[in-house]
Amino acid sequence: MRFRFCGDLDCPDWVLAEISTLAKISSVKMKLLCAQVLKDLLEEGIDYEKVSKLTADAKFESGDIKASIAVLSFILSSAAKHNVESESLSSELQQLGLPKEHTSGLCKSYEDKHSALQDKLREKSLRLSRLNSVSWRVDCILSSSELKEVNEPTVHLKLQAQGAESGSAETTVVSVSAEKFRVLLTELKQAQAMMNALQ
Amino acid sequence: MLLVLSEEYKEHLAFLPQVDPAVVFEFGRIAVEFLKRGINSKVYDGAARKLGFPITTVQHGVEGLMFLLTESSKLMITDIDFKDSVMVLGFSTELNEILLQLYVENQTTIRSTLTQLAPSLPSYHNLEWRLDVQLGSRSMRHQVVPVVTMLFNLTMGTSENRRCCLQTNPSTLLHLIAVLEAALASMKNNHARRILRNIK
Repeated sequence: MRFRFCGDLDCPDWVLAEISTLAKISSVKMKLLCAQVLKDLLEEGIDYEKVSKLTADAKFESGDIKASIAVLSFILSSAAKHNVESESLSSELQQLGLPKEHTSGLCKSYEDKHSALQDKLREKSLRLSRLNSVSWRVDCILSSSELKEVNEPTVHLKLQAQGAESGSAETTVVSVSAEKFRVLLTELKQAQAMMNALQ
Repeated sequence: MLLVLSEEYKEHLAFLPQVDPAVVFEFGRIAVEFLKRGINSKVYDGAARKLGFPITTVQHGVEGLMFLLTESSKLMITDIDFKDSVMVLGFSTELNEILLQLYVENQTTIRSTLTQLAPSLPSYHNLEWRLDVQLGSRSMRHQVVPVVTMLFNLTMGTSENRRCCLQTNPSTLLHLIAVLEAALASMKNNHARRILRNIK
């Protein structure tokens, strides 16, 4: 059975198993649990105290609590990943056996935070190195040991990037002469024009 | 299989018969703690003062016990062989019983600690990927070149995480997938099954 929220693949077995665990708590508590899981996915911090209070009525053990958080995280994040609308998510979850009230609660929470989730996931996507900052300085070389009157402007560029494989900040300092800098600027402007054409 | 114990080793353990069996049991417990958590030399000071022996004797005794336990756990010797090896040291039977009990109780925990000391290769932990399309470069505009970038997170043992970044085009990626699926499928052929059946 192919499910859109799993990316047109089969639903994993553990998700099927844990959906029956989710059905044990009431639909109101489930909506509050969804809200907590969404806070965790948006990296706003999850309050485990509240979660254990919500699941205390259904007498969930710690394994069940972890499983229900995991299955809700999976459903919400893969639905956002594959850009599924909330109606199709709702029908697919009901096909998997989640009761109607639980499904509607989940889909309502999903719809509210749909775009925020997608923005967060876009931010977390793989980027190799990120440019953190650029600082520059223009100097004028007056003279040197080789020639008495030089009078040449140069640009010093300091680029601070976040390395891909190391994950730590890397600083590169370059000094560029005026012509080379003009070439650099023209090429970068052409690249920027190409990027703007795509927007 | 008997343990071969050197003369120097027998000297180190020579002071054990001179103390109470209860003290030997206590030393055994200290030795197991040290094997799990590392040596804490303050314990040696306290023990030496209480018993009235010099620190080096106490230290040699505990380290001797640790060596006895690790060697026997490493070689996984049976109880009878352990008793025979310890008999060489010339201790009383009561002492031998205490040492045997210590060995039997702690064998599995010591073995699991020892397995963690083996060298490990970096192993796969997590994968992030992205699909890009290169549209142009400084030298050529109007290109369409798809590129898949993958970042592997590898772990080595318990600590250091390495990150390894690879790029490939989609046809190489498909070939990679086909080769890996063939590798998985080779686990199911007769040769592999025969060997797996015979490993306990």
